Amino acid sequence: MRETPLSNCEREFIRKALGERKRLDGRQAYDYRTLKIAFGYDRGCCRVDLGQTRVLAQVSCEITSPKQQRPSDGVLFVNVELSPMASPVFEVGRMSDQGVEINRILERCLKESRCVDTESLCIIAGEKVWQIRVDVHVMNHDGNLIDCSSIAAITALAHFRRPDVTVDGTDVIVHTIEEKDPLPLSVHHMPICVSFSFYEQGKFLLVDPSDKEEKVMDGKMVIGMNKHREICSLQVTGQMLLLKDQVLRCSNIAVVKVTEITEWIQKALENDRQARSNGERFGFREAVVMDTVTTNQMNPEKLK
Amino acid sequence: MVDIRVVGARDRQKQEFTEEISNLVCPGDVITTDTGFMRGHGTYMEDEKLHASVAGVVERVNKLICVKPLKTRYNGEVGDVVIGRIIEVGQKRWKVDTRSKLDSILMLSSVNLPGGELRRRSEEDEKMMRNYLKEGDLISAEVQSVFSDGALSLHTRSLKYGKLAQGTIIQVSPSLIKRRKTHFHTLPCGATIILGNNGSVWISATMNEETEQTGGYEQDLEPVSKGDREVIARLRNCVIALSEHQMMLYDTSVLYSYEESLRFNVKDILKPEIMTEIIENTQPRLESLGT
Amino acid sequence: MAGVNLLSDQGYRIDGRKPNELRRIQCKLGVFKQADGSAYIEQGNTKVLATVYGPHEIRGSRAKLLLDRVLVNCQYSMATFSTGERKRRPRGDRKSQEMTMHLKQTFDAAIMTNLYPRSQIDIFVEVLQSDGGNYCASVNAATLALIDAGIPMKDFVCACSASFVNDNPIADINYLEESSGGPELIVATLPKSDQIVFLEQNSRLHEDNLSKVIDLAVKSCKDVYTVLDQTVRDHVSELSNSHGWDH
Repeated sequence: MRETPLSNCEREFIRKALGERKRLDGRQAYDYRTLKIAFGYDRGCCRVDLGQTRVLAQVSCEITSPKQQRPSDGVLFVNVELSPMASPVFEVGRMSDQGVEINRILERCLKESRCVDTESLCIIAGEKVWQIRVDVHVMNHDGNLIDCSSIAAITALAHFRRPDVTVDGTDVIVHTIEEKDPLPLSVHHMPICVSFSFYEQGKFLLVDPSDKEEKVMDGKMVIGMNKHREICSLQVTGQMLLLKDQVLRCSNIAVVKVTEITEWIQKALENDRQARSNGERFGFREAVVMDTVTTNQMNPEKLK
Repeated sequence: MVDIRVVGARDRQKQEFTEEISNLVCPGDVITTDTGFMRGHGTYMEDEKLHASVAGVVERVNKLICVKPLKTRYNGEVGDVVIGRIIEVGQKRWKVDTRSKLDSILMLSSVNLPGGELRRRSEEDEKMMRNYLKEGDLISAEVQSVFSDGALSLHTRSLKYGKLAQGTIIQVSPSLIKRRKTHFHTLPCGATIILGNNGSVWISATMNEETEQTGGYEQDLEPVSKGDREVIARLRNCVIALSEHQMMLYDTSVLYSYEESLRFNVKDILKPEIMTEIIENTQPRLESLGT
Repeated sequence: MAGVNLLSDQGYRIDGRKPNELRRIQCKLGVFKQADGSAYIEQGNTKVLATVYGPHEIRGSRAKLLLDRVLVNCQYSMATFSTGERKRRPRGDRKSQEMTMHLKQTFDAAIMTNLYPRSQIDIFVEVLQSDGGNYCASVNAATLALIDAGIPMKDFVCACSASFVNDNPIADINYLEESSGGPELIVATLPKSDQIVFLEQNSRLHEDNLSKVIDLAVKSCKDVYTVLDQTVRDHVSELSNSHGWDH
């Protein structure tokens, strides 16, 4: 479906408000929206909410033959699906430009930064390796899909457990969960993408733009960083001209944000780990809040 | 026999020029910091300074500064003769491709109806539009006016304009066509040449006088004789030779280069060395004319 | 690939260059007669061809028509023989689509788009031989082609890549240096004002070193600009001399 353009008065209003350092939802310029992380029953399933934007990531693994150039490395495959469920603008089938952009940014951030140790995924060099596949599905689009997807992807990778394998000569035995405990992936570091949107040719910048703010922006910068202050990927897009100190200022802000978010992720992982080990209930069902009122009328069935 | 050459063996004769053109600019160069000038094409103002936006030569006419680039798409002016191809038949108008920035428009009210009648255009005429001109037809027309977005409005109200048939068309850069009083030339060698301002050059055999005044819609599809065809082919190659050497195209230059080329076979004219020889012989003749 | 020493003790790289030295650039304008503008550039072993058509009427979907600006349509394509192993899909795969988008954004910012509303400018880039710095050579070639076509731009757009090896920033990396796993920073600037039009960075680079690497990349863009500027001036002089320019 064709995108409904933003009306001129809305555009003017948002621009003017930004001029007075005010955002539509009352946040400060460098504030993130509420971040909620929930894990599913299966290992490697993670749902991330950033305000109203919701993204689901699932990690799965499979044994395949390795690439020709790298016979002793496993394969990491990242795929982001923009389904029409998230927004009527997204269409099934051919990936739009926005889809390609998100896919490439996430690919560069996760694969080329080598956050997951691929050498440990090797079973028999040259013949059998693990292929780890991260599928990210966008369920609701309210701006800033990149940040949300990257948080979901890396959290899912940290949450995932792969089956244990023993190599007996040329035979490979994959153990089930009952036989042997599954092993975590060796995640060296957690790269998180932080998005900045620019207005008025770079004079104002916002962190974590919402959908309306994204429609009004001049350009965008995405910085993928981990908590050791290493920049894993950086990309400036849009039709604007930047100066070097603006780029450096953004990277300083990103350092602070990434540290916060990484702490949050670690806390969520810790909570989930405790829940599983203490025998408590875990999974998405527990993440649904049960004491909110969802109807205002009830006709109970009378039992005969 | 096929003529094959190796690219490196081509002798690029670099013309020696004594000094570099002094007022050459490239995009982004500062032309002047004086704010008293008016900005023309090819410039933009930033931070109180006038910058060039194209690569070319700076031209100053009193208070107007503009930069003329080496080549651009055709910019129409009222009164220009253009040659274009019909690409679309629409509501009371045809869309014509004249190799300019936007497609040109030929309104139904700007053409001569066949038979030469002058009457109000009716609905019948709209439905019969395709019988007069359809997609793919080549026409010669004159620019009547320019729309605000830069598109041209054409007309074929004179008998000399209209559908073209049986000839050959060559595309050159519009900057090579010299602006003259008339762009339709009948050369003594037996061919007619139309030098369109948009860079399209049309060469055809000269029609007999009586059959010409039909209002431009009947295409003469009589077979063209071999002699005429050879003349047309030779003229075409001469025009190509002139455009390769960046020489201005007008009736005299085409005629002189045709005369110089008579020594060679028609197909040999396209060989680079023979082209250079013809041009070298033509240039002094043109210069002695004092043009 | 461990074991390849990208920077020797004497400070020389694999191909013998110093850390801040660019590869040899050779370029030519006006290689095709039928296109409105065309250019060919060789940066070291990377060879790229660019052609520009336009501005002309919008072809294809009229839905993309912009009422106040020109539509910039790019296509980035790599010849099947351009890489070491034969490339199965010259265009249409994800990396090419991404490159296409980046080229479009870069030139949307540099061309004066409000001069040609309702029109379209096509930029076609073909990589004939790929040895690192594909995006940079494509941007440089497309800039020359746009200048050849006489399309007004704010300034040249020059692009260069940089990396960081052994505490030294190095400029204009080739394929070997790219694939060794070190960080790669690609920047496209308007050289006169040092404004950054496009910036992309891959692989891990520590934040403290970011400033140095950007500085080197921006400075290298200026060096590329000197070469391109000279080429354009020579080309314009040659053609305007043969024209006569008396009108």
